[in-house]
Formats: sequence, C-alpha cells, structure tokens
Amino acid sequence: MKVNKTAQAKSQARSQKWKDVRGKRSRPPINSSDLNSSPVMARVIQEHQATVKKKPSVKRLKNKAKSVSAPKKKNIPQSGSKKSHTQSNGSSMLTVDNDSEDSQDWKEYSKSFNRNGIERSCIVGDTRPGRLEGEALHYCAERDDRKNHAVLVMQENQTLCFRGKCFLTSLYGRVEVMGFTIEEGQQSYPLFSPASHCPLTIRALESPPDTRGDRTDASVMLRKYLSSVSCKKLLKRVKPSSSIILLEPMETPLTRFLSSFTDLSELFSPPMSELISAVLDTPLNGLGMIPLVSAIEGFKMSESYRDALNTLVNACTGDFDGCAVILVCGTKNVGKSTFIRFLINTLLNHTTSVDYLEGDLGQTEFTPAGCLSLSTIREPLLGPPFTHQNSPEHMIYYGQTSCESDLDRFLESMKSLWHRRSPSRETPVIINTMGWVKGFGFQLLVDLIRFFPVSHVVQLSHGGTTQCPLLTPDFLKTAHGCQTHPPAPTALDEFTDIHTPPRSYTHLNVQSEFQGVGRQGTAKHQRTNEHRELSLLAYLSQLQSADPGPVRPLHSLTPYQVPHTALALGAIHCEISPSHMLYAANASLVGLCCLGEKVTSRGGPVMLSQAPICPCVGFGVLRGIDMERGLYFLLTPVDPSVLCKVNCLLLGAISLPSCILTTQPGSEGETPYVTTDYSFDLTGAGKLRVFKGLMRPSQMGV
Amino acid sequence: MKKRNLEKRRHVVAWVNKAEWDQVLEYLYSTDPGLQRFALQRISAWKARYANSTPVAVECTAELVRCQVLDRSRQLDGDDLVLLYGAALVRFVNLITEKQQGKTARPLRTIAGNLNIPEWVVDLRHNFTHRKLPTLKWCRKGCKVVLDWLQQEYWSRQLGGGGSGDWDSQSEGEDEEMDLKRREDELIARQKEMEEYKHARELLISFEKEQFQASEGLQGDLMGGSWPAPLADMSWILAEIKQFALESSEMLVDVLLEDGFLVPTAEQLETLGCELPDGAGLTEPRLPQTFLRFWLPLLKMLNFSSFIHLLLEKLFVELKVLGSEQNNHRAFYISAWISELIICNSNKFEFHFETKTQKKARMKDRIFVNRIQLRWQQLLSACLDAPCSSTPHLLRLILDDMEHPLPLETRQKLLQLCSIYTQTAPSESDPPPPQQHRQPIYTLESLHEKLQHSKRLSRSTERSDSSQDHKLSEAHAEKIKQLRGSPWQVCVDKVPWKNFPLGKVPGQSDDPSCLMVENHSMMTVFDQPVELESSSTHSMPGVSAPTRTAEGLLWSHSDVNKLKSGLQFF
Repeated sequence: MKVNKTAQAKSQARSQKWKDVRGKRSRPPINSSDLNSSPVMARVIQEHQATVKKKPSVKRLKNKAKSVSAPKKKNIPQSGSKKSHTQSNGSSMLTVDNDSEDSQDWKEYSKSFNRNGIERSCIVGDTRPGRLEGEALHYCAERDDRKNHAVLVMQENQTLCFRGKCFLTSLYGRVEVMGFTIEEGQQSYPLFSPASHCPLTIRALESPPDTRGDRTDASVMLRKYLSSVSCKKLLKRVKPSSSIILLEPMETPLTRFLSSFTDLSELFSPPMSELISAVLDTPLNGLGMIPLVSAIEGFKMSESYRDALNTLVNACTGDFDGCAVILVCGTKNVGKSTFIRFLINTLLNHTTSVDYLEGDLGQTEFTPAGCLSLSTIREPLLGPPFTHQNSPEHMIYYGQTSCESDLDRFLESMKSLWHRRSPSRETPVIINTMGWVKGFGFQLLVDLIRFFPVSHVVQLSHGGTTQCPLLTPDFLKTAHGCQTHPPAPTALDEFTDIHTPPRSYTHLNVQSEFQGVGRQGTAKHQRTNEHRELSLLAYLSQLQSADPGPVRPLHSLTPYQVPHTALALGAIHCEISPSHMLYAANASLVGLCCLGEKVTSRGGPVMLSQAPICPCVGFGVLRGIDMERGLYFLLTPVDPSVLCKVNCLLLGAISLPSCILTTQPGSEGETPYVTTDYSFDLTGAGKLRVFKGLMRPSQMGV
Repeated sequence: MKKRNLEKRRHVVAWVNKAEWDQVLEYLYSTDPGLQRFALQRISAWKARYANSTPVAVECTAELVRCQVLDRSRQLDGDDLVLLYGAALVRFVNLITEKQQGKTARPLRTIAGNLNIPEWVVDLRHNFTHRKLPTLKWCRKGCKVVLDWLQQEYWSRQLGGGGSGDWDSQSEGEDEEMDLKRREDELIARQKEMEEYKHARELLISFEKEQFQASEGLQGDLMGGSWPAPLADMSWILAEIKQFALESSEMLVDVLLEDGFLVPTAEQLETLGCELPDGAGLTEPRLPQTFLRFWLPLLKMLNFSSFIHLLLEKLFVELKVLGSEQNNHRAFYISAWISELIICNSNKFEFHFETKTQKKARMKDRIFVNRIQLRWQQLLSACLDAPCSSTPHLLRLILDDMEHPLPLETRQKLLQLCSIYTQTAPSESDPPPPQQHRQPIYTLESLHEKLQHSKRLSRSTERSDSSQDHKLSEAHAEKIKQLRGSPWQVCVDKVPWKNFPLGKVPGQSDDPSCLMVENHSMMTVFDQPVELESSSTHSMPGVSAPTRTAEGLLWSHSDVNKLKSGLQFF
C-alpha cells in the first residue's frame, strides 16, 4: 500500500517535471524564479535543477521525454494534486503578467502560495550549492563595529555552516535553518551550534520575485544597519534573489552559566577535528560565529529521509483524517532526535504548534534526562536539546536513563502522559522512542504502537540494513509486546479490545546517511553522558538572573526552605533504608512531584515505601538539610506558584553533574562529597564496566 | 598518564567526608552484625548517590558482608546460605577481574594471579557455576579470604591510606609491556629533541659568528647604514636554517628566544656598538637599528606567515612568563621584537612626508614587506595575557592594525584600562582606583567585563545599588506572596550562603552521623491515576485537569497487576 503510494507520487512528480520542461520551451520568458510561487512547481523546478546538475546532458533527457511521460496519462484521473498544479500554474502565469500597480490582491494571493512553496522547497533541496567560506565571506559580509553586528548577503542556495552561537534576523529574502524558514519581517531567532552536535547550516532560499523591488529597497534597509561604505560594498552583491541576514552576538544566562565551568569554556568552538576547517578572521568571527569550510558537510539528508519528511508534512498539513500521530523509532545514534527536530521545524512553518511525547529517557529533548514528558512546541528548535530546555505541559520523572529496570513503569508512565492530552486536540503529535530496539526494547515499541492511535511510524536505520524487524502494520498483526499481544479469539478479548479493530498506519523506512551514523561521538562534549550533563546544567542555568552580570554559583543562591514533615521523600532507582535516606538525598538532584494524597507526618521526615508514578513539575537541588529545625533547603527554578503544590521529592539515578560540586568558588572549609585523594588506580576503584562482545580466544580466527 | 603531572583532580564521591568513609570501613569489618548492617544501609545510600558508577570493590564488599550478616543472624539454613555466598563470590571474581580483560577473553586464573587473588578462590567460583555446589565451610572461608583481600587491596589503600602514595608502581602491573614501550618512545623523543636543540643552537651561533665577522670587517660601512651582502658561507648557513625552520620551526623559535640570540647579551651589544636601553624606553621599546640589521638577513629568510605567527605567539608567551619583573632587559627586547614585527605588518602610511630614498631605506629594514594576515583575535588575547609596562604600546599597535577593528570607543577604553592596569598612567592625572589591581586581567572577556562594571559604577554609584536591592526585594515579595498557604518559604535567615558549599548548612557538624533520621513516618502511595482532583491542581502547568478519553478501558491487565503488587509492603 505504502510502496504504491510513493511510487505514484514519484512518477507523478516526474511527469510534471516533463510538463514543465515542455512548458518552458513554449513560454521562454518565464524563468524559474517566477515560477516558484506555486508549491508543486517549486519542487518540480528544484528537482529539475538537481537532475540537470547531476546529468549535464540535457539532450539525453529530451530524447527520453516521450516514454517517461506515458504514465502521466494514467495518473490524471486520480490525481488530486494535479488540480492544484494547474491552478497554481495559472496563478504563477498571472503573477508574471502582472506588472502594474493594482498588484495588492495578487501579492497576497501569491503570498499564500509562497508560504507553501518555501516549505516544500526546503525539504526537497538537494542541489549542492556553494558554501560561503574563506575569501567569499569578506565580500558578502560586513560588520558594524559600533553596533556590534554583521550583515551577510547570501545568494540563492548558498550555505553557511558554522560553529558558535548568534541571533539571526532575516532582513531581506529568506533563509532556512534545520528545516525552519526564517523570513523577512519575522523576529530574530537564536542559533546554537556547539561542538557537541552536528554544526548548523544556514541556507538561503529563493526569494519570491513579485514582492521584490530593485536594490533600492535593500539599500534603505542596509543603511539602517551599516555605515555607508559597508553598505555600498554589500549592495554590489545584492540581487533580487538574494537573502540578507543580520547576525548579532548572543549571551544568555545559559551560555554564561555554561562558560563558567572550565571544562565547557570551549563548548561553542569547533571541536579538534574541525580546527583545520575553521575560517578565521572573517567579519563574523568577532560575533561568536566560526564559519566552516565545505569539507565539513554539516547535516546530510538522504533521499528516503527527505521523502519521509515530505510525506509527514503533507499528512500534517493536508486533509488528513484526524490528527497525525507520528512515532519515530530506530536504533541508537541513528538520528532520531535530529529527524524529529527537522520535522518539528518544518511543521512549524505551517502550524502554530506541534505536540511532542518524549519516550527516550537517555536523550530527552526538552527536559533533563530520565523524564518522560508531553510538550507543546511553538518555537523552532535551532540547536541541540540543551539549548531549548523548557517546562513541558506534563512530565513524569522515571529516574533512570534507560527503561530496562522497570518496563511496566515506563509503559504506564507513557500511557498516563498520553491520557492527559485532550482527545479533541488536532495538533500533530510526534512520539520519540528510545534507541533500544532489541529484545524487550523492541517489544516496548510494539506496545507503544498499539497503545497510541499512531498514524505514521518512521523507522530509521543505517548501513542499508534495518537493525530490527520492520514495524509494519502487517508485522504488528502477529507481534508480541510486553503488555500487548496480537489479537486472538480467546478469553483475553476483554483486555485486548482496546486495539480492535486493528488500526492501520503508514510505515516509513528511512535510511540515515550522515557521517558517523550508528556510532556515538567520541570527541569532547559528544558522548551521550556529556549531553545529559549539558541538559541538566542548562536546566539549572534557569536559576541565574536574566540580567547580564557575573555568574552566581549555585551554592551562593538563597534557597527555599520547607519542613521535612511536609514533603514525602522517595527513591525511584534503588532501595534505601529510611534512617539513611538523607545521606542519599543531601546535595542531590530531586524531582519535584505532586501527590494527590495529603502528606502528613507522625513525627520526623516522611519517607515513601515505593516511588509512585506521579506528575513532576521540575527539578531542584537539595542544597542542605537542617536536622535541628527539620528543614530542607532547596534550589529550584520552578515558579513559586507551582512550587507551592509540590509535596514529594523523588530521587533518581540522574546525578548532579560533577562540575557543580567540584566548582564551588568561595565556599569555606571542606567541600562535602568531593575529594582529591580517591585513587582510581586501585583494583575495583572504578565503576562496573560492561564489555560487550568479549571475544573468546577460540573465536579469534573465525 | 598526564593526570599525574597535574595537580590532583577533584572527584565526586558518595561519602560526605573522610570521617564517613572511615566509619563505614570500620563497621563493615566489625564482628558485630548490627554495625555491619548499619554499614550496609549506608552503602545503599551511597549506591543511590553513585547511580550507575558505584566502585566495584564497594559493591562486592557489601554483597559479601551481607552474606556474613545473614550467616551470623542464624535465621537461614546452610543450603540457603551456600546460594547467597555463591552469588556474592561469583560476582566478586568476575567483576574485579573485568577491568583486566582486554579485547579477547583471558583466563580468570591468570588475571586473578596477577591480582594476588588465591587460585582456589577462582576454583571455588568455577565450582559454583559449573560443578557441584561447595560446602558452607568453603563458602565461609572463601568469603573471609576475599573480604581480607578487599580490605588490603582497596579499602586500606584508598583515600590516602597506606599504598596510594606509589601511583607509579600501581599502573605498571596493568600493562607492563605498554608501559615499557611508552617509556622507550619517550626516551627516543627526548633524545631527538635534544639533538634538534643542539643543531638549532649551532646553526644560530654560526650565523652570529658570520655576522660579527662581517660587521667587524666593515665597521665603517655599517655606520653608513648598509649591510654587506651575505657571503657564500652565510648563504649556506641561511639555507640550512631555513630548512631547519621548515622542519621544526618551534624548536628554532625557542632557541631564538633564548638569551644571546634575539635577546642580546651585554657583550654582544657592546660589540655591535649599541648602547643599553635606558628605563624610559620600556614604555615604547624600539630595537637599536644595528641590532635589528644584525638579524635581518636571517629573519628575512624566514618571513613566511606561519613562522611569523609562531614567533609572535612565542614572544607573547615569553613576555607573559617574565610577568611581574618589569624593567627587565629581556622584557625590553621581547616587546621590542613584537613591536617591530607588528610595525612591519602595518599598512598605515605615517611616513608619507619622507623622501623616496628614506622610504627605500626604511623598507630595507623591514623583516617583510607584504602584509601578512595575522590572527588578530589571538594576538589581542595574547597581548592582554601578558601585561607589562610596554603592553599599552603593543596593544595600541595591535588595535590600530587589526583587520576588523574594534569600535573606536572600545579601543580607547581598552587602552585606558590597560594603562591603568599596567600603572603607566598616560596623561590622566587621577590615580588608578585601587580595586583595579586586586584581580589581574587575564582575558579579553574579563577586560570587557571590567569595562562594563566600571561603566556601571561610574554612571550611578549608590542610586543603582539601592534600585537593584529594591528590585530584588520586589521579586522576593512576589515569591513570598505566591507561596503563601503552602509549607514552602523563601529562606529568610541571614545566612551568607556563598560560604556554605552544597550539602552543608550553618551549624552542621562534621560528625558522619549528623544526617541520621531517628524517627520517620512511612507513607505508601500508589501510582497516581490519570484523573486528579482537579479543584486544587487545575491551574498548575504540570498537573492539568483529568481528561477521560473515550478509548475504552483505562486499566489494563497490567495496571491491575501493578496495583496488586503495590499492595505488598516492604
């Protein structure tokens, strides 16, 4: 079914392409930039350009044209988009013809098309455009020293790949970052490209031709930002199809807090492997951006990746029955989060918000690790997870970075989160899953697909093979989950009728092809535990005041205090004798949770016999415990209006990053829990190391 | 390997201080099962703190002690105990040898031998897993021997105990071959370095000799201003030096910066007929012309940009090392060379009034003529990194010549701050504020920060302070208002929190038992159902009103199971 669909779509696209080629021949005055106001056309043109670029022999294409156009006729009766094609075709023709003053309506009309066009093209774009690097940056970028910002002129499809951070505003035309289109007139967006992840790429998109005046528009605008000398220099580069962006340095409480730790001071510089690819001494460098040469590829999309994105975007924006529920799965380091970020960003070009259900405990997107959550996303994600930590609508603290230890707790938490979502909501939902696709992990995926009304399953894999069986609807008919089983005509019916009749969904198989796929990064800041620490540090950076100023270390902040008789304290990840509980809790990270029951003490602190699944509103650091007065001192960025409802603290296996404890400037006396005398050289001093795939001597030769 | 050379690293551990560690160690190896149980409970708290990185030795010890405690409680049968001992012993042997395993499995026996674990303990482990279960007597004996081993090898040597002083001898056991090879490599590298060093010195000395000879022969001509063309010998030496610079420029620069080369000795200066610089020259150091010309043939040979980069970089590093001792002969020459190099690169034409011949003469004295693209940001940081009395001069040169100059205002402020800091007080009469000196300026950022700080200070002295206080207290009041009616409060005690590290509160003793809970209340809570009492929790972002879905049963089979299991009390 699914295979059929794409095949049809492809052939259709191809057929349109030929049509376009013919049309071009008959109507020479229309150039490609005039045409792109129609969504389908935009894609057609892009594809056309791509093919032309790949196969320079246009002649050969012409020869073949006849035979390829044959299937087109078959498609005509059932093609809904065919209609829109002709419509938009017409509109673009009219737009071209229209060069008089009464353009207001037409402008609006074509704008409505433009919006679609952008999105389409940013997914499709495969042309390998020029990278802005080296000398070129001196010609097309100018920096205003007084205002401390830079203006960059980019030609259509040019890219700028960089490390660092900045604010980006589109002054003229539009650019695309991680699938999100930033247009002229929109707010400025923060971009983060730290050494921990794949570098960001800014790509100029073609501008709508009709709204563009000549260079005078641009010059007026440029003059606002640059001195007249720089203006003149840049204006030479501006064409109607150019995009102009404003880049400003960015300092936030997050970046200031992170840079206060010596280990993280180079976080926004290129990693060792990219040092030779860094372009120094451009007008951008002083702003906290380091451009990279084209040897660094940036993010690379495979064809199946792009197709899947297209299908999903169409499903979410078109007349899809009900709301789209997209489950994304795949093995570790296959690019699930990146795919999701791309998808969310692309969707945000169309919709105001996207819902996101987090099921990946180890690499959470919006929260510290170990949390399952349901979020509504309204802002694009233009950086790695630690740069967009925010409070989800609903959150449950699972307390481990992997769900192996308690599969039921995981599934129950996921269900519980899902049920908190209003069933009448029409916003598309994206479900992220963990990279555990073997054994029970795979069974959990089967369960998740059965529990939720999934409309699309995106399965990512790499290396040409799938790392686990394909989770197609057919496969689900017989697959066993942990809690669910294939429907069978037995007495079990009463429990299985949740998923009868069997729903169907679209299964999309995506091959990831980026560099280093399937492997964890080994460079500094690139290991997953470092990512987790960054997320947690980013969360704690919310304790810093928003005003610029020196960073205040955690221990110097005024904490909240609360009697230990008023809060229940529990541990999720292990069993601790109640009388020793405070030894585990002191100076630890705690989840701030809300129990429905009232917490009452019959003397002394209240301990939970087991950690329940309950709503969590955020995290805090149990800064200290006053045993005499029976008080907990707690540091947390959670808003007081929410904090007052918190009556339970849960301990999990998510520890404070060690730099928080080891970097406490100005404190007096011995620092608790920190020592310089611990020797890791003694036998057994290290943690348990698990060697996977220890080879037996007998296996050596095989 | 490198760690050893650096200062000791700070590690996060699960015990609050050494006293807690000592207490746990004492109780673990006590004969009183009550104390042992206490230690086990504390270790369970440690494991909670450590999450997944509990030291293997701690975990193994706890498991074995747990067996002992159960054995001594006399509540279990012998057969029960054998199984318990078995699990603990198998885990010990496997976990403790795990770290020694390479890519291919090595026999446990070999590894255990290296670690001084008796062979029969390994046999005991094999009996548990593959053969007839050992007797309880053997179990007890094995447990005791292993616990003694752990005490000796881990507990008593850890945290500054007996054996941890000899870091080096410890690592050798791990992989002697690797270690040996590494040392050999180091030795070879060092030897090679020494040879290179000697070679560089020889080359430079022969260059100097040639130059001195030439200068002596043509003393008169020298005064006139032109330097003789290099002799045949000289060109050979220069070619040799260039070759060397291409191979190991770093070594060459290092040698060049030693006394007697780019930093001349007093005799050398005398021979060249240069007078020693007086103190006044330090703020704006210039090289004596004859001295510059002495080195020009060499430097002109090496004027490729990577070498100039390196030279500048090292010059600044040297300047930084010289640090506080100002008025120093060496500092003078080093800053003079920096200034010379940057001036060479300058494209400012301040000499436009000169005649053509003058210009020609000037260009002749330049190390290089074409502008080199210097790494300005790095230069700027390096310059600010090495504050000395000539820094304002060098800073001005850099700032004036930068490819992408900083805003004029920033430049001026930087210069001013810099002169304040280096105490040269250019023209302003007001003395530098004393607090400027308390904290040395290390980086560009700190300079910027200081700049902003001083701006803020000057703009409004007390007014801003009070308004900031006001703002803070306003936010404070808002918090208090929102927390009203809940047990939560903003801490109002006047505590200087910045003096108390995390995990410590005022009045807390160092006694390891200070956090023991004497009486507590237990509470059992089940998983919170989807529907919550909406009345109280409605407005909270984390807990929204219940949403019944029309999807059918909310309580699946497993829900029910879960509930049932939750009913068992621990």
